[in-house]
Amino acid sequence: MADSTLQPTSAFSHLEPTSLPGIAIEPRENFTMASFAAGKGRLEALAAAIREAYGVELPRRPQRVVGNGIVFVWLGPDQWLAIAERTNNRDLEVELKQRVAGLASVVDQSDGRVIVRVSGPLAREVLAKGVPIDLHADTFGVNAVAITHASHIGVIMWQVDAAPTFELAMFRSYADSFAHWLLEAVASTVPAAA
Amino acid sequence: MARPANSPSRDPLQPQRLSNGGLVDRSRTIEFTFDGRTYKGHPGDTVASALLANGIVLAGRSFKYHRPRGIISAGSEEPNALLELRTGARREPNTKATVAELFDGLEATSQNRWPSLDFDVMSVNSLLSPIFVAGFYYKTFMWPAKFWEKLYEPAIRRAAGLGRAADVADPDLYEKVTAHTDVLVIGGGPAGLMAALAAARSGKRVVIVDEQAALGGRAIDDAATIDGRPARDWVRAAEEELAARPDVTILRRTAVFGTYDGGTYAAIERVADHLPQPKDHHPRQRLWRIVAKRAVLASGATERPIVFGDNDRPGVMLAGAVRSYINRYGVVPGDNVVVFTNNDYGATTVTDLIRSGANVVALVDSRPKPSETVSRIASATGIKLLNGAVVTRAFGKKRVSGVTVRTQTGAEVKLLCDLVAVSGGWNPNIQLTTHLGGKPAWNDRLQCFLPGALPPSMSLGGSVAGDFSLHKALSGGAAAGASAVALEGAKPITIVVPQAADESDAITPLWRVEDHAGKAFVDFQNDVSDKDIELAEREGFRAVEHLKRYTTLGMATDQGRTANVNALAIMAEITSRTIPQTGITIARPPYVPVALGALAGHHRGKSFKPTRLPPSYKWAKEQGGVCVETGLWLRPSYFPRKGEKDWLDTAKREVNTVRSAVGICDVSTLGKVDVQGTDAGIFLDRIYMNNLKSLPIGKARYGGMLREDGVLFDDGTIARFGDHHYFITTTTANAVRALQHMEYCSQWLWPELDVQIISATEQWAQYAVAGPKSRELLQKIVDPAFDISDAGFPYLQVGEITVCGGIKARLFRLSFSGERAYEIGVPARYGDALMRKLWEAGREFGACAYGTEALGVMRIEKGHISGPELNGNTTPHDVGLGGMVSKTKDFIGRVLGARPGMLDPNRPSLVGFRPVDRSARLRSGAHFIAQGVEATAENDDGYMTSVAYSPSNGHWIGLGFLKHGPSRIGEIVRAYDPVRGGDTLVEVVKPVFVDQEGVRVRG
Repeated sequence: MADSTLQPTSAFSHLEPTSLPGIAIEPRENFTMASFAAGKGRLEALAAAIREAYGVELPRRPQRVVGNGIVFVWLGPDQWLAIAERTNNRDLEVELKQRVAGLASVVDQSDGRVIVRVSGPLAREVLAKGVPIDLHADTFGVNAVAITHASHIGVIMWQVDAAPTFELAMFRSYADSFAHWLLEAVASTVPAAA
Repeated sequence: MARPANSPSRDPLQPQRLSNGGLVDRSRTIEFTFDGRTYKGHPGDTVASALLANGIVLAGRSFKYHRPRGIISAGSEEPNALLELRTGARREPNTKATVAELFDGLEATSQNRWPSLDFDVMSVNSLLSPIFVAGFYYKTFMWPAKFWEKLYEPAIRRAAGLGRAADVADPDLYEKVTAHTDVLVIGGGPAGLMAALAAARSGKRVVIVDEQAALGGRAIDDAATIDGRPARDWVRAAEEELAARPDVTILRRTAVFGTYDGGTYAAIERVADHLPQPKDHHPRQRLWRIVAKRAVLASGATERPIVFGDNDRPGVMLAGAVRSYINRYGVVPGDNVVVFTNNDYGATTVTDLIRSGANVVALVDSRPKPSETVSRIASATGIKLLNGAVVTRAFGKKRVSGVTVRTQTGAEVKLLCDLVAVSGGWNPNIQLTTHLGGKPAWNDRLQCFLPGALPPSMSLGGSVAGDFSLHKALSGGAAAGASAVALEGAKPITIVVPQAADESDAITPLWRVEDHAGKAFVDFQNDVSDKDIELAEREGFRAVEHLKRYTTLGMATDQGRTANVNALAIMAEITSRTIPQTGITIARPPYVPVALGALAGHHRGKSFKPTRLPPSYKWAKEQGGVCVETGLWLRPSYFPRKGEKDWLDTAKREVNTVRSAVGICDVSTLGKVDVQGTDAGIFLDRIYMNNLKSLPIGKARYGGMLREDGVLFDDGTIARFGDHHYFITTTTANAVRALQHMEYCSQWLWPELDVQIISATEQWAQYAVAGPKSRELLQKIVDPAFDISDAGFPYLQVGEITVCGGIKARLFRLSFSGERAYEIGVPARYGDALMRKLWEAGREFGACAYGTEALGVMRIEKGHISGPELNGNTTPHDVGLGGMVSKTKDFIGRVLGARPGMLDPNRPSLVGFRPVDRSARLRSGAHFIAQGVEATAENDDGYMTSVAYSPSNGHWIGLGFLKHGPSRIGEIVRAYDPVRGGDTLVEVVKPVFVDQEGVRVRG
C-alpha cells in the first residue's frame, strides 16, 4: 500500500497527545485490528490455534492478554478483538483468516474503532466523569476489560498498566465527540491556574 | 436593656459579632452588599450569619401575603430567607441565605417586594388575606372561565411567586461523576464521622458527604465537649485521619438528595458557589452518582417551630439555629431573648445565650413542671423561668419587639425582646429512607417520626435514628459504621467511642398554642397558616396527601421540613385522631434544590448527545455542504453553489446532474453487518421475508425484514461474498435495532445455528457514485486489474477489489437513484482521501456532490420506500412488496403477517400522485378523499407519506397509501390537508416517475 495515492486521515480533528501534571492522553490509530468469533463447536480448536500461533490463551472472561506481537481483548462469549501495531503493512484480517481458517469468522475492524489512551494518577478521576463503572484497582485492575460507555458513547475499555493506563476504543465516527468530552473532563480535573 | 458589663467583646464593625469563637476566619474581612448596601463579614460565614452579624434579620417578603420575614434557621430547611444572589447571567433566585456562603463582592438582593424590602406595595395582600386562604385560586377566580388565562393567572403570578431567574444562558460548567464505594456515610456530624472512622479503619472504601462547608454537625453548633476537649478539636482529628486514608473521599458542601435502586444515591456538590466565579474550566456544581454497597444515614434532625400568633415575625428563630449562629459563626442574633420550648434540648439555648452576653428575658417552657435539666439551667443562670406557660403572640412588624405570654395561671404578660428562640422538638431527617417507599414510624416517647423500613443495605446513626444525645450519636454512628463493613466482609475491629454527655431528650408535645391571636403560620414558605388546615378539614381534605395538595403545604423548595409534622399534628388534633392515625406524606427527591445544569452536566447545547461524523464530513464542510442531523449523524443535506437561492434550487441541480452525468454521496451511515458461519444462509433466510437461498456468490439482493407481528421492520441489501460470508446493510435509522434483532435471533431463537454476526458499520467509508457517467468516473479510481464494464460488473454485482494502487475496497452495483450506480467502500481511514480523489476525478464528467435532499427526491421519483413508508404500521403488501414475500420458507413475521387483517385488500397501499394543476405543491400528511364526498373520517381513503419537487418531471410528485390504490390508477382524488389549509386535486399514478421500465440501472 506504500504505492497507493490514498493517505489515511485521523478520525480526531482536535486531539493531540497531551501531557499534564497527573494525566496524559494520546489518540492511537496506527493499529490493525480484527474481531473474530468462534464457529459453532470450534472454540477449543480456535484456542489451540491461537495458542500455537501467538503463545497465549484466549481469555474466557472480560480480560485482555498480550501475546507475541498481538493483544487479544475479550468482547463477549466466544468473541475477541485482536490488536497489533500497523507495521510493515501488517493486516490482522488477512493474518487471522489464514491462521484460524474454518475455526472462526474474522472481520476487519482496523478502521471501525479508534483508541484513546488515558494515563496517570488522575486517570480514574477523569474517567469517572463519563464512565459509570468502578475502575478501582481492586475491582478493575491491569488487563481488565469492560464494554461500557463514556459520556453516552459506547466504548470497549481495558487497563494496560498500574500507572494506571487505560485505553478506550470507540467507533470512529464518535472520535471528536469523545475527545471534546475528554478534554473538558481533563481541564476540570487538573488543578486550575490560580 | 443594656448588655451585662462582663459580656464578651464584639467586633466594632459588625454589631452582633463576638470577638472570639466560631469557625469564621476573623483574620480576613470581606465585603458584600444586600439590597445595595455594603456590609462586612468573614470567610466561613453564610450570607445569613453575616446579615445577622450586622444586625439584620429581615430578609424577604412572604410568598402570598408579602409579610416581612426573617432568617429562621441555619440550614437547608430555611423557608424564609430566600435571596437572589449575584447579577447578570449568574443571577440565581430563591437561594437560601442560610446555605449560601459569603465571598468577597457577593451581591444579594431580597425578593418578592416592590419597591423595597422596607416598603412593599403588595403587602396589601395581607389585608385581603380572607380571600387568599388555602385553595383560593380554585374558588375565587373560577368565573368567568376565560378570565383565568388572560387576567387572573398572570395577575396572581406577578403578585405571588418568588425571585427572578437569569434571562441569559448560564455561563457556568457542570459535571457528573460516578463514585463507587463500600460504605457511603451521609452526614458529617458526630455520628457520621464515627461511622466513617469505623468503616475506614477496617480498610474499606468510604465516601462521607456533608452539606456544610465544615464537618462536625451539631457538635459544632452546640459547642459540645468530646473526650474533655472542644468538639471542634475532635472533629479536626477525625477529619485528618480520614483524609490520610487513600480510600476515603470526603465531600463537603455536598447534599445527598435522592435514594435510588441498587444502592445508588444522587448528591449535589456546590463546588464553586462559595467563590465569586468558578475557577477556569472547573464546574460550578458537580452531580455525584454514588453507588454504595452499604450506606449509613447520619443525616441528623431538623428542629420544628411551635405554631403561635404572628410566629413569622422576623426575629422569631429556631432555638438550635440561635445556638448555631453563636457557636459556629460567633454571632449573637439578638440581645434580649425569650426562649420558648417544650423540650430540654431547647432549654439549653439559655446557656449559650448567657455565655455570649445576651440577656435572656425568660425561659418559657410549656411543660407544667421544670425538668431536671431546666432546673439546673435556671439555677445556674438565674434567668426567669416560666413553666406551664406559652407564647401566644409575637408583636413588632419588621422585627419582633416582644411577645405575649400566657402563664400557667392563665394571666397574659407582655415581655419585650428582639429575638424569640423557639423549639418544638426535632424531626429526624428521614427523607432519604422514604424515597423508595419506606413508611416512617411514629415514636411516642421522642414525639417524632423515625425511619420505618429502610432501603436495602442502609443503616442509621445518630439523631436520624432518634439518638439525640451526643453520647448516643457517637456510639450509634460507630456501631452503624462497624456493622456496615462487617456485612461487607471486613474483619471486626474495636472502636473506642469517645466520651461525651448523654443529654436529656425529654419532650412534652406542643404543636400550636391554643387561643392565639394573629396569624399562626405552619408552612412559612408557602404561607399556610393553622386556619388553612382547619379550612381544609372543614372542606373534607383530611387525608395528609389531600391536605398537602389543597393547601400547598410542604410543596416549596424546603420540602416543608419545618412544617409537615406540625401540620399533620394539627390535623390530628382537629380530627381527634393520633398522629400515626393521621399519617405522613412521603418525601421524594430532591431533598435539596438541584440546578438543572447539574443534571445535564457536560450534555448541553451541542453536547446534548454525541455527534457522529461520516468519513467525508470535513471535505463536505469545505465544499459548503449544509449538514442535517439524522439520528446522531451529521450528514450533508445539500451542497449549495453560487447563485442558487434556496435548498430546492440546489437539490434540483444535484438531481439533474445525477440523472444526466454523475453524482457522489456519502452513504457510510447505513448499518453494515458482517454475517458468517456455515449456517449464515439459513439464518438470513429466516430473518428476511424474501428468498435468499438462491443468491449467488458475488451478487447482491434487496431484502425486507419483518417484525414478529408481520409489520415491515427494516430494509436493505444482502451481498454474498463467499459460501458462508454475507454482508448486509440496514437503514441508517435502524442500524442498531437491526443488529440487536439479529443478535437476539442467533443467541435466543436459534442458538444451534453456526452463525457469527459482527457490526462493520464504521469499518467502511462507503460512497454512492450514481449517474450515467458513474462507471467512467470509477474507472479512474478502481485498479485496472478489475473489470467494471457493464458486462464484467453488471447490475447487482458485488466484489472485493483494490483502488488507487492497492487499497482494499468493496464495490457494489446498487442503485437507489434509478441510474447506473455503484457503492464503493474503503477502510474508513482512507474515506476522506477517497472522496477527494473521486471529486478530482469527477471534474471532467461534471460530477456533483449530493446530499440527503437529492437522495430523497430521487428515491421518491423511483418509488423506493424509506422512513415515511417504513413507519412501523405498514406490511409488505401495503408498500407494494407483497410479491417479494416468500411462500416457500418460514421466516420471522410470516405467520402473523398472514392474518386476514394484514392482507385485507381494503388496506391503503402504495401508489404515486401528481397534482392535476401541475403548478400545485403537494404536502405529506394530506389525506385522500374521493371526489364528491364529504371530507370526514369515514371517507378517509389514506394519506400522503412522501412528497418532492421532481426536476425530472417539472412538478411536485408524491407517494402515499390509498385504499385499493393500484386499481385506482388514473382516478382524481382530493389531497385534503385541513391542518395547513390544503385541498388539492391529485391524479393517482404508478409509484414510478422516472424510467418506468427500469433500464437505466443496467447501464
